[in-house]
Amino acid sequence: MKAVLKTTALTLVLLLASSFAVFAAIRLSGGDVTAARLPGSATAEDRDLFRHQLGLDRPIIDQYITYLGNLFTGDLGNSLTNNASISDLAVEKIRNSAILGGMSLVLVFGVGIPLGMVAALKRNSWLDTGITSFSVGGMAVPNFWLALILIHIFATTLGWLPSAGQGGFKYLILPAVVLAAEGIALTVRMTRSSMIENLNQDFVRTLRAAGLTERRIYFKHVLRNSLLPIISLAGLRIGQIVGYALVVETIFGWPGVGQVLVNGVLRRDYPVVQFFSLLLVFVVTMGNLAASVGYTLANPRLRK
Amino acid sequence: MSKFRRFRKNRQLVAGSTIGLVIVLLGVFGPMVFGGYADQDLLLGHKPIGTEGAFFGTDALGRDLAARATFGIRISLLVAIAVTAMAVVIGTLIGLIAGYVRGSVDSLISLIVDFVWGFPLILVAVLMAASIGSGLVPVILAVALVNTVAIARVVRGEVLGISEKEFVAASKAGGYSTLRILTRHIAPNVIPVALVLSSYYIAVAIIAEAALSFVGMGAQPPLPSLGQMVSEGRNYMRLNHWESTIPGIIIFFMVLSVSLVGDGLRDLLDPRLRTALDRTS
Amino acid sequence: MDNTPLLDIRNLSIGLRGDGVGYDIVRDVNISLYRNETLAVVGESGCGKSLTALAVLALIASPPLFVTGGSIMFDGRDLTDISPREMRAIRGAEIAMVFQDPMSALDPMFTVGTQLTSAVKAHHKVKSAVAKKRALEALADAGLEDPRRRFDEYPFQLSGGISQRVMIALALVNDPKVLIADEPTTALDVTVQAQILERLKELKDERGMALMLITHNLGVVASVADRMVVMYTGEVVESGAVDEVLASPHHPYTNGLLGAVPRLNSGANELMSIPGRVPQPYELPVGCTFADRCDRRIEICGVERPGLEHGARTEVRCHNPVG
Repeated sequence: MKAVLKTTALTLVLLLASSFAVFAAIRLSGGDVTAARLPGSATAEDRDLFRHQLGLDRPIIDQYITYLGNLFTGDLGNSLTNNASISDLAVEKIRNSAILGGMSLVLVFGVGIPLGMVAALKRNSWLDTGITSFSVGGMAVPNFWLALILIHIFATTLGWLPSAGQGGFKYLILPAVVLAAEGIALTVRMTRSSMIENLNQDFVRTLRAAGLTERRIYFKHVLRNSLLPIISLAGLRIGQIVGYALVVETIFGWPGVGQVLVNGVLRRDYPVVQFFSLLLVFVVTMGNLAASVGYTLANPRLRK
Repeated sequence: MSKFRRFRKNRQLVAGSTIGLVIVLLGVFGPMVFGGYADQDLLLGHKPIGTEGAFFGTDALGRDLAARATFGIRISLLVAIAVTAMAVVIGTLIGLIAGYVRGSVDSLISLIVDFVWGFPLILVAVLMAASIGSGLVPVILAVALVNTVAIARVVRGEVLGISEKEFVAASKAGGYSTLRILTRHIAPNVIPVALVLSSYYIAVAIIAEAALSFVGMGAQPPLPSLGQMVSEGRNYMRLNHWESTIPGIIIFFMVLSVSLVGDGLRDLLDPRLRTALDRTS
Repeated sequence: MDNTPLLDIRNLSIGLRGDGVGYDIVRDVNISLYRNETLAVVGESGCGKSLTALAVLALIASPPLFVTGGSIMFDGRDLTDISPREMRAIRGAEIAMVFQDPMSALDPMFTVGTQLTSAVKAHHKVKSAVAKKRALEALADAGLEDPRRRFDEYPFQLSGGISQRVMIALALVNDPKVLIADEPTTALDVTVQAQILERLKELKDERGMALMLITHNLGVVASVADRMVVMYTGEVVESGAVDEVLASPHHPYTNGLLGAVPRLNSGANELMSIPGRVPQPYELPVGCTFADRCDRRIEICGVERPGLEHGARTEVRCHNPVG
């Protein structure tokens, strides 16, 4: 337990440090806010005054603390693009991304683990070779390309599913599948190898000698032992999903955090970039933390 | 190890290297053979595969797809090599220091390394692009950063593992200097591990560069990054899907070959290698 | 001693089959186990004793290993010829087995208690409370002092000796008629070894079980067993009452094994060892497989495999036995 608390504390420290680094980098290279806010005829003095009023000439640490303070009071600033309130934007985008992310996590484990189990049980059979090759291929296909192909097949040609936008379960399918693709492939491989390794352990023989059914041995004992590495994978998956979501949301026009951030960077909308970058850094860090804590709790050896 | 498995392993290496070789050759010689990647000819737009004069067809602006695709390979290779070189050198150094010196230096390094390692590559790249601006540079830096950290982790693990072994203690007892121990004993054991990991990250680098270019943050036009080509072609899927498909296929094969080589190498250096890599994942 | 064996292994052969290979590792083995006795199966590593034991409960890895001949009679049935369901009913409940390395033989993710109650419930439809009671009884029987505490512990928290007792409890919890112990003490400290063996013997007496003890340690045999079977290169070379065999061994191999055991009062300066090495199953010589290393070798030994001769109190497979 002590180790868990220690890790958590250290992680939070690092979170602060990295979020500061991100903040500083964006603020400092941030291009001229005045160019966006003041008319082109403004003089240099006007610009300096403007910057001073916004507090942009204070030391960067000061600015950071002010920004954090603003975050806590809910003042997130306004988007440079359309002057929309970022806090309003945030709620909606976060919800959308959560839906997409959640769905793909369900797919990753809901499809990956069973397939991996089947492959392990029938190892070296044609089924196993098929599943394994599929997962090797699945990891190599760049997901934006996969997205295009799926759109081409299912939306453009077959017309079964919509190609972009949001509005109901149908719209969720393709983006979630694309987002989950690599995760599924990885999970299949991990589950398979983990189960095969555990099937060869001594305790399987002991349980068999005690008269337990093969089914119980497989699904209760072997599976439980195999899930350990997969749990630690789960937290990392969150990080991966956040990363890929940036691309997938853009392709599918899914109005989530990823899309907003990408557009923000392309349009140099710094307040937007600032907030959502920090948000993602936070989410990823928390995800990793949850994964390592989860692993510690799940492994009886580490729990004590 | 049954014969079947050994054969299969070899096949991975063989297949992967063959594909990789073909691609590298295309990348090196392609642009010379196929011509300039920026030569436009609006009259010859959207030609499909097999058109005379344009082996893979042309894109919207009439540019030769073969020329662009093979140049795109060069870009991907450049990124991959630059990244890997940086990462292997710096990462190994960090890992060696952390693993050999240990103590609080190691704790600090490990902490930072573990933290960065947990970050998705694309996010790092986007953040870099947000800070520095779009282009190839942030992509290279981002991938190099994550790759360096990953290698540092593995190298540190290996060094720690080997330091425990008797022959290092024996060497020290014999009075050998630290540097000598590092280069003669630890380095040869660590380098294969680092290489295998690098192969994995080359694949990651290729995909990351493509993905970023796809959304517009990577290589800027008219540089024909493969990812960007896919993006440009997506508007014309019905018209001439080859404009997206060809670069897409090439990316796929690049990654596939690297993965196969990496897997094959890893199996070859099994089982010692497995334990080292398992410690990181 | 009962006249009908409880467990009767008859002419059992186990071999490797597949991928172009085919040779037997266990060859034509006959072992009979009677109620209430402790039978020791002795031999060096690789002689096939463990494989024979595993075959009783159909725990051999098939493929590539298969029973290629003979039968294993138990309770009127041939164990090599029954359905998986029948075999599962026997495993743990009628015939139980204890393995060599207790530290790795238990599932690390579940408590001792969970594994014990699982074993009970695998054979009896009882409530958890009842299963728990039986588990605790078994733990106490195995010689553990604080069964309740052990019940809630995880395998990694147990020492070697305690793990092995847990394994024994696991084997006993369903009251089997036969207990097969494969090198149960080899991985343990010497002091603990004696205690475990002692306990096994007591349990056998208390419950009227038959105990088959597989070991390569003659000291163990001498202290605990009633009868013994000596195996070499997959076949039985000598068997009989322990007192008999150890006092006057008839097979040159047995003789060699005894000579190799260092004794405090022998006055000898060197350790005796049997010259040569054990032939691998795929390179067995024609005739008697021990002939090359034997100092009593005669002409026929290199030509014809000796049959099992039944003496007054022992059996020997030798053309030129000692004494």
